[in-house]
Amino acid sequence: MLNKIFLIAKREFLTRIKKKSFLVMTLVSPLLILLFYGLIFYFTVNKSIGEEVKNIAIIDESEVLQQNLESTKTTLFTFVSVAPDKINDLLSEASNYYAVLNIQKNSKGEISYQLLAKDQPSIGMVSSIEDKIAAKLKDFQLQQKGIDKELLNQINSTQVNIETKKLTDKGFEEGNAGLTTIIGFAGAILIYFFIFLYGVQVMRGVIEEKTNRIVEVIVSSVKPFELMMGKISGIALVGLTQFLIWVGLVAALSGPVSGLVMQMMDVNPTEIGSMAQDAASKDTSKMGSLFAGLANLNVPLIVGLFLFYFIAGYLFYGALFAAIGSAVDNETDTQQFMLPVTMPLVFSFVLAQTIVTQDPNSTLSIWLSMIPFSSPIIMMVRLPFGIPTIQIIASMAFMIAGFVFTVWFAGRIYRIGILTYGKKPSYKELFKWLFQKN
Amino acid sequence: MIIQINNLSKKYQNHTALSNINLDIPSGIIFGLLGPNGAGKTSLIRILTQITEADSGTIHLDGTLLNRSHVQAMGYLPEERGLYKKMQVADQLLYLAELKGLSNKEARQRLKYWVDKFEIKTWLGKKVEELSKGMQQKIQFIGTVLHEPKLIILDEPFSGFDPINAQILTEEILALKEKGATIIFSTHRMDSVELLCDKIALINLSEKVLDGAVPQLKEQYKKNQFEVQFEGELILNHQLFNLEKSDEKHGVKKISISTLQKISNKEIISTLLQSDINLLSFKEELPSMEEIFIEAVNQKNNLQDAK
Repeated sequence: MLNKIFLIAKREFLTRIKKKSFLVMTLVSPLLILLFYGLIFYFTVNKSIGEEVKNIAIIDESEVLQQNLESTKTTLFTFVSVAPDKINDLLSEASNYYAVLNIQKNSKGEISYQLLAKDQPSIGMVSSIEDKIAAKLKDFQLQQKGIDKELLNQINSTQVNIETKKLTDKGFEEGNAGLTTIIGFAGAILIYFFIFLYGVQVMRGVIEEKTNRIVEVIVSSVKPFELMMGKISGIALVGLTQFLIWVGLVAALSGPVSGLVMQMMDVNPTEIGSMAQDAASKDTSKMGSLFAGLANLNVPLIVGLFLFYFIAGYLFYGALFAAIGSAVDNETDTQQFMLPVTMPLVFSFVLAQTIVTQDPNSTLSIWLSMIPFSSPIIMMVRLPFGIPTIQIIASMAFMIAGFVFTVWFAGRIYRIGILTYGKKPSYKELFKWLFQKN
Repeated sequence: MIIQINNLSKKYQNHTALSNINLDIPSGIIFGLLGPNGAGKTSLIRILTQITEADSGTIHLDGTLLNRSHVQAMGYLPEERGLYKKMQVADQLLYLAELKGLSNKEARQRLKYWVDKFEIKTWLGKKVEELSKGMQQKIQFIGTVLHEPKLIILDEPFSGFDPINAQILTEEILALKEKGATIIFSTHRMDSVELLCDKIALINLSEKVLDGAVPQLKEQYKKNQFEVQFEGELILNHQLFNLEKSDEKHGVKKISISTLQKISNKEIISTLLQSDINLLSFKEELPSMEEIFIEAVNQKNNLQDAK
């Protein structure tokens, strides 16, 4: 039996990785990901790209700015003095002023600001001017009250950092919530996408065999259950291969590619380095706590749990997707059956980001990490906060029982479904298939 | 006997597919499983190939109760053909043979034989979807027999074949029989297999109506009817004959007569020649398989009505 499952898995694996689309997907998508992040980085560093320098004339009758406002990269301020009825001339076609900032003081001493522009100014621009003026006014006030600006900055940068330690058998140990949270979330996201992408591939594969009519030939040689398991495991191997290639590619390419991006951007690497250093020094204590307790990180537990839920979760859902594929003749008919399968998956993914992260040890979180429909994702997210061993064991036991059940359940539907053509079955009929004799 | 079927029954939710089928299929022959669509042929084949299970009854293959190890001994060509469209021809055939238990090496060796026979060397690297329908049918046939099964089950093998390919297929089937394989041949086009099949079974509405060797069945169901062609005036002896049909073309008369009691051909001819006629041809009209089927079904119904 294992021999036949192996043969089927081998075929699934080989035909899929030989496809051009596999090569394209595998090689192009990491490049796209890198390009995507490269572009985001590029535009974040060079905000001014795409924005032309704008000249803004300031008419300050109130003298509140004392004829002094520093220009920025994208806005050049010029203080002018014109009669109120001549303001329009400043914005004529020939003029290179984009806008006029009119600052006036009324009889009660209140100051009003008006930006008259050639077109509707962007909110970003308006707020940046607002900030600049506000900062200027604040400085003036500090000067008037005789407060040293440097001193104030010092006072403002006061920070409090709480160090977290959790009670373990060995006494208080430094927690590692920061890094494990990231790892846990990354694991949850990977599991979520893996189940979705490859589960649907299982379903498509089953429908393909059914519409091709090859299935009747195959099941005269192997049992439907063997065919189903071979298909599910073959596709799992394709997914794992793709995943490993990506990890390798991203690791190998991220260096040279980011170098290339920097060259393209004409950015001095040391500049970036110092920017990063600045950022780091501001936040050293936070970064410190992020990596604190790295030594305490239980790598085997994390990797072990990830692999377990990665595979078990995929088997659990993959079998259900195979059952859906066997029950219908074409992909359009799958909608109705897809919903009850994908709902719990999406539901747990959403809960993982909200309720579970806020209170990872609430009764709801614990229950969600026991139910096999949600446990692969929820357990990954709960991981950083520490899960009692007994709960891990219970969750894994439920998970195993869960996929044994779905594989059985799917196998029962599959064996009837693959040989049944025509009308889309109802849920009632599917239920009957479960107990129908072969 | 390669196959012995005893009291086989199979029910689906809403209908009976097979009821109490008893059938023996001798080894090394071509066996025709005939009957209209929906009679239960495919249900029987699916039980034989262990795709489904019977509700009751037994099947023995070569004297042992049907089990998973028999899968390798059978080759099955279903009515609805299909291959993996995106897979290369060679990979596909090797895969099918490996699923039947052949090693990759063995499968490659046996493939060589068929590649030479059908001259398909240039196809091997092509994907199935690149081949014409006729080519795909040939590939599927090779896939059915590549592992050299001793029992080959063909469900409506000629459907979708053009006359030339049908001829090639017929020759291959006969060649396989020569080599000692047993072939079960299922079709609803009853006349198409008369010449090919050694024995047949007729199935109707989930029941076996009759079975036996083709010549014997014809003998059994013949109505003592003869076709005579002649020139001149025939005076028919109505005490001996019944006129069933008569026809005249270019002065040649063609009649069908049946004898009212059993008399020898010699006697018939000499009686006919008593008239002043020029006898051109005389032949016994044997019933077609279809006629036998209708007759047998009617008899069975009458029998049941009588009960």
